[in-house]
Amino acid sequence: MENMTAFLPGILSGLQMTLGVFFITIIGSVPLGILASLAMKSPYFTIRWLVNGYIWIMRGTPLLLQLIFIYYGLAMVGVPFTRFEAAAFAFIINYAAYLAEIFRGGLQSVPQGQFDAAQVLGLSKTQTFFKVVLPQVVKIVVPSFGNEVVNLVKDTSLIYVIGLGDILRAGSIAAARDVTLVPYLIVGALYLIMTAVVTVLLRASEKRLNVWR
Amino acid sequence: MISRKKKITVNLLVALAFFSFLIWAFLVLAKPNSGGVVAREDQWSEIKKQKTITIGLDDTFVPMGFRDRSGKLVGFDVDLAEKVFADLGIKVKWQPIDWSMKETELNTGNIDALWNGYTKTPERAKQVAFSSTYHRAQLALVVKKSSGVHRFDQMAGKVLGVQTGSSGENALNSQPAVLKQYIAGKKAIGYDTFDKAFTDLNANRLTGLLVDEDYAAYYIKQQANPDDYALLTGDFAISDDVVAFRKGDKGLKKAVNQELAKLKNTGFIQQLERRWFGQTSLDFGPTEEKR
Repeated sequence: MENMTAFLPGILSGLQMTLGVFFITIIGSVPLGILASLAMKSPYFTIRWLVNGYIWIMRGTPLLLQLIFIYYGLAMVGVPFTRFEAAAFAFIINYAAYLAEIFRGGLQSVPQGQFDAAQVLGLSKTQTFFKVVLPQVVKIVVPSFGNEVVNLVKDTSLIYVIGLGDILRAGSIAAARDVTLVPYLIVGALYLIMTAVVTVLLRASEKRLNVWR
Repeated sequence: MISRKKKITVNLLVALAFFSFLIWAFLVLAKPNSGGVVAREDQWSEIKKQKTITIGLDDTFVPMGFRDRSGKLVGFDVDLAEKVFADLGIKVKWQPIDWSMKETELNTGNIDALWNGYTKTPERAKQVAFSSTYHRAQLALVVKKSSGVHRFDQMAGKVLGVQTGSSGENALNSQPAVLKQYIAGKKAIGYDTFDKAFTDLNANRLTGLLVDEDYAAYYIKQQANPDDYALLTGDFAISDDVVAFRKGDKGLKKAVNQELAKLKNTGFIQQLERRWFGQTSLDFGPTEEKR
């Protein structure tokens, strides 16, 4: 067991990359997902079609393929993303598509009567959205949102395909060098720790939000 | 409610914007090699000016290029490439890549060279330019001594493993008479890295593993009981390790070839080979001879 600690520095060097992709995706995909979910309810059919097409492409193709196209494919037509930018871009637009569907579900669960009531009370559209609809939507979407966040923790490992070194890649390097499965055990434990932290945080926020239910 | 007129106007505008975007994208894509311009010119003067070169490697690839426990890149190819470019006054920037994307990385200009146990094959010759051969290795079949396999034909009906996209997989398919005709289902199991194949060999799910002799020797040394394994060589052609460049990079290729010839004459390469592999390429006879 003492040789387990020998693998740690190498694997931890990949942690920065894993966490970097994770946080930038959360920060970027949540607003984009909200926008897309609102656009899906737009009165203009062209906007609805465009957004539905975007979501269809993002959910209908593997994220691995999207990474390859965005990094290598776009470089061929003259869009020079760096490796990290390509990873961030691919993850944000992919996760925004999934989140948009979750947010749409949340929006639809607010009864039409509340919109009507808000209108009767003379609330503006912005007021209705931020003061009446959004607080309820947030509560409804937390469990499914948490599901996506946990998935994201593990999906970050796909960035190996564009040459970025995350913890799983660092584990593979150590496994290839020392011909042992021990580094993978450590990597698995690290993922478990990360998903545990995410789960605890989401549970706590769920509890807080439930106070005014 | 939104008026009918406004609806039509907005819908038209959005549709117009979308289609003009599609047409623009189509025009950009249809223009041949608009982004590949960089990749086609000779970059040598630029590299000399910048005094850095970006070389792609799979950093899991022992013993050619990999990371030691402190995370430092080491290996035969790393040592050799750094010596070659140090003599040219150029700093090497190593870029880890996914091995299945290696030619794409090179031709999109993300890296300037591939130097990582890259073997000469006719298919690869269509996509990239090769340096002169700096190292030669033979394919070997790794078996457990307990399997009782001593020759390739004794693999009849047995399961064979290879690394996907490796020169071993290429040779197996291009020279089917040597080994492929014997193995179970006439198809080998593909692994993304050799260490996983070795795990399967130890679990007796594989009888043999086709791999470059250099790597085989390294892996066997890492096992708890190195004496349990046997290395069998057969009639596979010897593979030539080369550096890969973009086809346009003639200046870079010439400079590297000159340095490699110099280092061969001074015995530097042979010294490195003995250090990392325990034997030199010369043990296979002159370069031209193919077994």
